[in-house]
Amino acid sequence: MKRQLWIGILVAGILLGLWTTFKVYTAGFTVYAKTDVLVWTLPLSTYIFLSLTSAGLAFVSSIPVVFGIKRYEAIEKRTVYLEIAVLLGSFVCLILHLGAPLKVVYILLSPNPSSPLWWLAVLYMVYFVLLVAAFWRIHTGKMSRALGTLVFLIAIFTSTTLGWLLGMTDARPSLNASFFSFYFPLTGFASGLAALILFCILDEELSGQERSEGHTVLYNEAARLMGITAGMVLVLFLWRTISGGISSTAIEYGAFRHMIGSIPYNIEFWLGLVVPTVLMLIPSIRATAWGKLTASALLLVGMFAGRLEFVLSGVVRPLGQMAEGRPEIVSYIPTVYEVLVALFGLSVMLLIYTLGERYLKLEAVPE
Amino acid sequence: MPRYAMVIDLQRCVGCGSCSISCRNENNVSEGIYWSHKITETSGTFPNVRYHYIPTLCNHCTNAPCAQGCPTNAMHKLDNGITMHDPKKCIGCRYCMINCPYGVIYFNWKDAHPSWRGNKAVIQGATSSPAEEVRKVGGNGTPYYNPERDETLPGIRPKGVVEKCTFCDHRLKRDKLPSCVESCPADARIFGDLDDPQSQVNQLLGKFRPFRLKEALGTEPAVFYIRDFSAAGYPRTKGGI
Ligand code: SF4
Ligand code: SF4
Repeated sequence: MKRQLWIGILVAGILLGLWTTFKVYTAGFTVYAKTDVLVWTLPLSTYIFLSLTSAGLAFVSSIPVVFGIKRYEAIEKRTVYLEIAVLLGSFVCLILHLGAPLKVVYILLSPNPSSPLWWLAVLYMVYFVLLVAAFWRIHTGKMSRALGTLVFLIAIFTSTTLGWLLGMTDARPSLNASFFSFYFPLTGFASGLAALILFCILDEELSGQERSEGHTVLYNEAARLMGITAGMVLVLFLWRTISGGISSTAIEYGAFRHMIGSIPYNIEFWLGLVVPTVLMLIPSIRATAWGKLTASALLLVGMFAGRLEFVLSGVVRPLGQMAEGRPEIVSYIPTVYEVLVALFGLSVMLLIYTLGERYLKLEAVPE
Repeated sequence: MPRYAMVIDLQRCVGCGSCSISCRNENNVSEGIYWSHKITETSGTFPNVRYHYIPTLCNHCTNAPCAQGCPTNAMHKLDNGITMHDPKKCIGCRYCMINCPYGVIYFNWKDAHPSWRGNKAVIQGATSSPAEEVRKVGGNGTPYYNPERDETLPGIRPKGVVEKCTFCDHRLKRDKLPSCVESCPADARIFGDLDDPQSQVNQLLGKFRPFRLKEALGTEPAVFYIRDFSAAGYPRTKGGI
């Protein structure tokens, strides 16, 4: 009964998403909170959030094959499947961000290798195929070292290429601090760990399964790793704030300075980084299921807000002739449709995961 | 192959906006989109203030970050230096808008010319609706549609893709100057070939000290500005403390 209700909610989210899709392609993109300035908003930031979470999950799923830590095999199948679900959710948001998604075929017909976006698109195609192949291998009871290693490499390439993609934007320094090629994989790893912990523990709690000793040890270890990673992200985040937001005198950083006082920034900082780091550094809290659940859920909420903060810090300050007749900083509140796009992506991801959980024996351990 | 460039003489420019109006007509530019625009600034402190007017358009940068970043080559460079866009290949990712430092690329958030699509007459039975008006005169999207634009680019760009100035490449093909240049009543826009040492463009660039927008970014714009308009004088002074 509980499962049916859950699936019903997700189907409702998807139906609303389909209705949004219809509105976007009939009424136009004006249903988004657009101005000519705010060209990248919530649909794109949700895509970035999900795709980096997927890359982070890939790092975790590669631990047994790449780093030889066998105890992670116990959650490998679930991790790889979650990666696929998260990636498909991200594609939904990306499609609804693009003005003409059917023309993506031109990425193959008219390639531009000087474009990081082209590389990203190609890498994601390869990534998706590899993930499906890796999952199939695990599902049929085998492991593939080569596939696992390739998934790991592609996850590094996708998350770092995103850093290049934004690093190219010389006109918008809020986006192009060179450390983003490091920041993205690291934050992706943090959100990947958080997603994994959240889903694994929730699954066990909701299905009333007895947690094995091995899983308890594993989750504690993953939670500690998540705390450490969140702490590292926190340090980088603070340096980004100090160098770009406080000590820089460049007017181009005005957008980022503006974002420092914003809601997404503060959610990211306090809820997404400070609280999970503190919770996971206290051993007695880390040992509890609720502690891990709270920290991972908050970290994910923080990362979601952080991706929006990041995207907005690049666009809220109009450039060149776009600034004509506009305030120095353009304010942004997502529209209902933009929120529905984000919910659409999340619902697709959760439904795929729920169905996998039901029919694909995600708890199985490969030989 | 020429390498096209434009010089804008700010002393001659009177800020009338003819360039922008003629651009709209020539290129069937929709409401809210500006292939030709301006930056206005006020400098000084009251009561000592001045107003500056800088006409803007795509700079057809030699190192165009918009084209470099476009995943499908929809935004691309032509051999003659023009930064051209092909809506057929454009996936509407808006990465070019993020990369362009000058804010000259616009996204078609909705179908073009929305105010000409209406089916409601102002006075029922007496006046035509905008859509009827377009049909009556055989227009396309607008009653004043220019079919010549179709020669190198869809005359009206569809929803979901970007667009921007093309230096009127369709006119250049017919040995005509860009529409904004032609329509400028003050001859403030001078167009020509940078590779021809004798072109008027090169003569002006050699005579005055030109500047380009955001030069430090290294985009190498092909739109140059010379001189400045100021009728003001001031008594010779060394200032004071
Ligand atoms: S002004 Fe902008 S759109 Fe035009 S060529 Fe330069 S970067 Fe590209
Ligand atoms: S919006 Fe179109 S022209 Fe601009 S980068 Fe994307 S595909 Fe290229």
